[in-house]
Amino acid sequence: MDESEQNPSPTTQPDSYEAAVERLEEIIDRLDSGQAGLRETLDLCSEGKQLVTYCAAELDEVGAGLKELRLDDLAAKLDSASDVG
Amino acid sequence: MEESRLAPQGRATPELPGPFAVGTYARKLQGWMRERARVQLIGEVTGVGRSKVQAYFELRDGEGAIPCAIWLNDLEKAGLDGAGLRDGAEVVISGGLDYYPGGGQASPNFCFRATHVRLAGEGDLIARLEALRKQLRAEGLFELQKQLRRPVLPKAIGVVTAERGAARRDLLAGLERRGWGGSLIWGFAPVQDRHAAPAIAMALQDLAARPEVEAIVVTRGGGSLADLWAFCDETLCRTVAMLRVPVISAVGHERDSTLIDDVAAVACSTPTHAAEAAVPLDCLAARESLERCVVALRRAGEGAIGTRSRHLGALARGPARALQRERGKLNQKIREIRAATERGLADRAGSQRRIGTVVLERARRRAIGADMDKRRDALHRAAVALRAHEPERTLERGYALVEDEGGEPLASAAEAGAAERISLRFSDGRVRAKPEPDDAA
Repeated sequence: MDESEQNPSPTTQPDSYEAAVERLEEIIDRLDSGQAGLRETLDLCSEGKQLVTYCAAELDEVGAGLKELRLDDLAAKLDSASDVG
Repeated sequence: MEESRLAPQGRATPELPGPFAVGTYARKLQGWMRERARVQLIGEVTGVGRSKVQAYFELRDGEGAIPCAIWLNDLEKAGLDGAGLRDGAEVVISGGLDYYPGGGQASPNFCFRATHVRLAGEGDLIARLEALRKQLRAEGLFELQKQLRRPVLPKAIGVVTAERGAARRDLLAGLERRGWGGSLIWGFAPVQDRHAAPAIAMALQDLAARPEVEAIVVTRGGGSLADLWAFCDETLCRTVAMLRVPVISAVGHERDSTLIDDVAAVACSTPTHAAEAAVPLDCLAARESLERCVVALRRAGEGAIGTRSRHLGALARGPARALQRERGKLNQKIREIRAATERGLADRAGSQRRIGTVVLERARRRAIGADMDKRRDALHRAAVALRAHEPERTLERGYALVEDEGGEPLASAAEAGAAERISLRFSDGRVRAKPEPDDAA
């Protein structure tokens, strides 16, 4: 089996959800192509799992329930904080 | 004018004419103003008040205002008496400058004396809108917002809208359908009257100043162009164009087009549409998609190992199978060889027997041949020897053999002397003789 094929990208924290999803789609496409060797497959799976974890965390952040705030209240808090300071 | 009578005792500003009597100056000012060109003005009515004979108001837009007055009978002719002339109404007035000099007790007053007034039509507003649109486009302000990156999954969204409007409810419903549950920061502001544009601009700036806000929605329900006119305000639109946060506008209905739609990053037809633009990612669908990715990754990982494991297993079993196969072949060969050997041995035995017979026969023949030769030679040699010892050979050399009458050789003189007769045998014949005694003896 040829292990000298393309190396997977280094696993780094993605810049954004969309960047993570884009990379994830690349990984799935590569895996679906069946052209990745064993080492590359395992590396891609590892990277993909990290991306999935990141995306799931991002979704969780906006999945807890809508939190409504008023700009006036935030401004008032900011003012009172600056007064105390 | 009697300058000397009006002149003061001192000349504080000798370079200017005068001083003039103020009443005289005021009347001249009134005349000068009334000679100015009569024009039409368009703007928003504010601060409407009425006296017994006329109505007062200010005509205002984002750049400035002019105090106006109209006689009530003119207002009645225009069909706008009663509540027709109201605060917030966009109107077109016709008239010119006027100045009331006042009097000893009455206060002076400057105004634009309107002789006709009408509510601004769509045509008036559209013409103003197009002029502004052309200007802002030429300045490149339509492109700035569109160059901003819009996150597909913002965690905090600012919203500028009326606190009690249907748009607020529709936006919330849209976000809920998206499955989005982040932080929503409401910047409530009036959305229709002359206070609307500055308040909206201020709310936008305050929201954009908050670091967590990743997108801002500006929305209100439908209405006439006059109702939506605050969203065509030049100052507001310039403010939107310069914000660092993408603004999504959803003002009015689909057919309405305000200037803020042009400068915003995205223009939407409804608050629901704005919710989708603010959160491009359908969170519910994204979760399902993510689960599919997890399955695909697991399948790929396990499949890669499983397939190779099976392959390796097959490879590992390969030699044993091959050995077994070869062993079977070998056994077969052995059986074949054994059978062939047995057949071969039998054939060979027969053959060898035949060969042995032939060889023995040949040996025998060879042996017999050699013996005969030897014998022949020996015989020959014996014959030669015999012939050498034959009495004839001696006789041939001149000797004679003495025999008795019976032919027996007489080997001594005594035997010959004793015999009555003897025979002398020469090589060429016999001679009979009679022995005589030896006188010498």
